[in-house]
Amino acid sequence: MLNDEKTKTTIDRDTLTITFQRKFGAPCEHVFAAWTEPEHMKHWWDPTGLPLSECVIDLRPGGGFKFTNRDSAHSPPFTGVYRLVERPSQLVFEAMGAVGTVRLESKDGATHMTVSIRCASAEHLDQFLKLGVDVNTDRTFDNLVDYLRKSAR
Amino acid sequence: MHKQTQLDLAFAALADPTRRAILARLSQGEATVSELSRPFGLRQPTISKHLRVLEDAGFIRQGRDAQRRPRQLVVGGPLKDVDGWIRPFREQWEGRFDNLDSYLKKMNKPKK
Repeated sequence: MLNDEKTKTTIDRDTLTITFQRKFGAPCEHVFAAWTEPEHMKHWWDPTGLPLSECVIDLRPGGGFKFTNRDSAHSPPFTGVYRLVERPSQLVFEAMGAVGTVRLESKDGATHMTVSIRCASAEHLDQFLKLGVDVNTDRTFDNLVDYLRKSAR
Repeated sequence: MHKQTQLDLAFAALADPTRRAILARLSQGEATVSELSRPFGLRQPTISKHLRVLEDAGFIRQGRDAQRRPRQLVVGGPLKDVDGWIRPFREQWEGRFDNLDSYLKKMNKPKK
């Protein structure tokens, strides 16, 4: 189910990019620190909300990172390499065959964050594209999925 | 790799907006080709072609009435697989940003 659309998700077929946009009521510096300092990162990266059991960050182009969830049996560590570090507005990294970019823009006292995941070759993202669904605008598809879930009970 | 092929077929079928709309219509209840062609403003052969793609992918099947030959949704069909594939990815990132949001609020408070 979609949440109340705090996060806007879009899929661009031409550039093979999935983009998430989100606004935070905090300065860019704080958001950048949250992405780049282990003592902050470890508190939010795991979607379940549990702190990471391991969080290693070597913040420089060519430096690596490793985030391990507590429940590592179900999700392997997320590892990658930083490509660009521009405090406090941009962070580029490579992980799992994709290039991730975090852009932070200060606007009206808030931080507008854009996270894009660009895939060069992975079939997974290609399947996203075949689907041709912008998940935020294609309500039909979501409603249908919800309907099927209910009726399958 | 049978499962993979089935998922590919499903994604290809869903790539077309008309076919997604047909599925949405059928989720409300079964419908015949002529009942489907009216709201979409498409000719019956065009609708039939779309229906065949959806049928091959396992989304729909023909109902019991041999005269009217209505199409109906296959409950628990491939859409469940498609949904299962796309949803975790999206939810993972949304969950992450929800966490970040609440964490930033704590960070904002002046230290005592």
